[in-house]
Amino acid sequence: MSLLLYMLFLLTAAAGAGVVLSRDPRRQVLALSANGLVLALLFFALQAPDVAFSELVVGTAALPLLYLVVLASIRGGRTRD
Amino acid sequence: MTVLPWAVCVWLFVIGLYGIITSRNYVHLIGCLSVVQSATYVLLLAAGFRWGAAAPIFYDHPPGTPAVDPVVQALVLTDIVIGAAVTALLLALALQLHRRKGSLDPEELRAMR
Amino acid sequence: MPPRLRLALFALALACIAPALPRVIGAMPVFGSHPLPYGDIINRLAPVQRHVTNMVSAVNFDYRGFDTLGEEMMLMVAVTGTAVLLRGHRGESLTALPATVPGRRIPPHSEALVLTARWFAPLTILFGLYVALHATVTPGGGFQGGVIIASALLLLYLGEGYSGWRRFMRTEALDAIEGGGSAAYALAGLAPMLTGAEYLQNTLPPGQLKSLLSGGLMLILNAGVACAVAGGFGILFVEFLEETRAEDPNQ
Repeated sequence: MSLLLYMLFLLTAAAGAGVVLSRDPRRQVLALSANGLVLALLFFALQAPDVAFSELVVGTAALPLLYLVVLASIRGGRTRD
Repeated sequence: MTVLPWAVCVWLFVIGLYGIITSRNYVHLIGCLSVVQSATYVLLLAAGFRWGAAAPIFYDHPPGTPAVDPVVQALVLTDIVIGAAVTALLLALALQLHRRKGSLDPEELRAMR
Repeated sequence: MPPRLRLALFALALACIAPALPRVIGAMPVFGSHPLPYGDIINRLAPVQRHVTNMVSAVNFDYRGFDTLGEEMMLMVAVTGTAVLLRGHRGESLTALPATVPGRRIPPHSEALVLTARWFAPLTILFGLYVALHATVTPGGGFQGGVIIASALLLLYLGEGYSGWRRFMRTEALDAIEGGGSAAYALAGLAPMLTGAEYLQNTLPPGQLKSLLSGGLMLILNAGVACAVAGGFGILFVEFLEETRAEDPNQ
């Protein structure tokens, strides 16, 4: 098992734990972004460039922004109904 | 440790499930769901890996050189994009929930009796 | 169910599964030995049969093209559900004012951010088009290109602010692009049936290896997927960012 893959697998486990253990949603958004980045690196190391492309864009940019927007509109306090 | 990939998959699944069970905020719960999803991605891609093989793109090297499995990569590829859309749907549901009930805490939002 | 009971049940389930876990992990194939034969067959056959060099795209759009049709429908259903949930609640008026939290000043956009966004958004759209069009040749495809174009729309939002961005993003155009892409995928599968072949069978001429126009029917399906993914994610961004706008004072 090469050192790079070994370290990347351990980093993936740590990033996943970081996402779960950040209880505040606003902190969790950054942990999600880091998780997406680490997963993309792992997929590159596992010789899967197509998958790494998708995970990089989706997990690092698109999804954290959706989370932030949802948190912002929750805090904006638009209570209808 | 050649069982590290499988152990990491199990770890990600279990800790994601633990996060879902003990969550106090629905947005945090959706994030833990994405951790559970990533466990399946790691499992699939680790199953298709082969030492000394390259990516299954035969543009620079001729077809016939050892390559990793493209089938599992195709599965994970579509899964990531569609999973993002489903997560967006879940976030919209959470937003509606907050609008109607005023809170995102699973403890305060017991099922209707 | 109180949380302690939930956690106790979870621990109980883990305790029941834990004895079997080492046996299952031990029975898994050695990491890197890759005993799955289907991938080797594809790697050997696809360049010869379809004249493509990207095996992942060949699996996605040709050999397992029907599964990708199902994924397309899932994407459309998810985007439709989100739009119904969020759009039906807001009404159709188009106030383009971002919401303000009382007591907090909105800082003006820094010029460095605006300049960077204005430079990089067109470049990102171009890169997304490049990745989407080179589906059968280099790493890339409809899914990747679509999400890259969607992230370029986010860069535009960062640069222009909510008002300018909302005027630029026309939901009718995004709806048409997304629906048109999914429909193109489903209907392009009917074209081979005109010549007596099966649904989604690749009967177009496969072209030359390493050429941009190789693959046959894969190119049309790939273009459909790119449009559907880019339009779908654009709709998602518009719907979610509309939630942050100010209340309409006329209602």
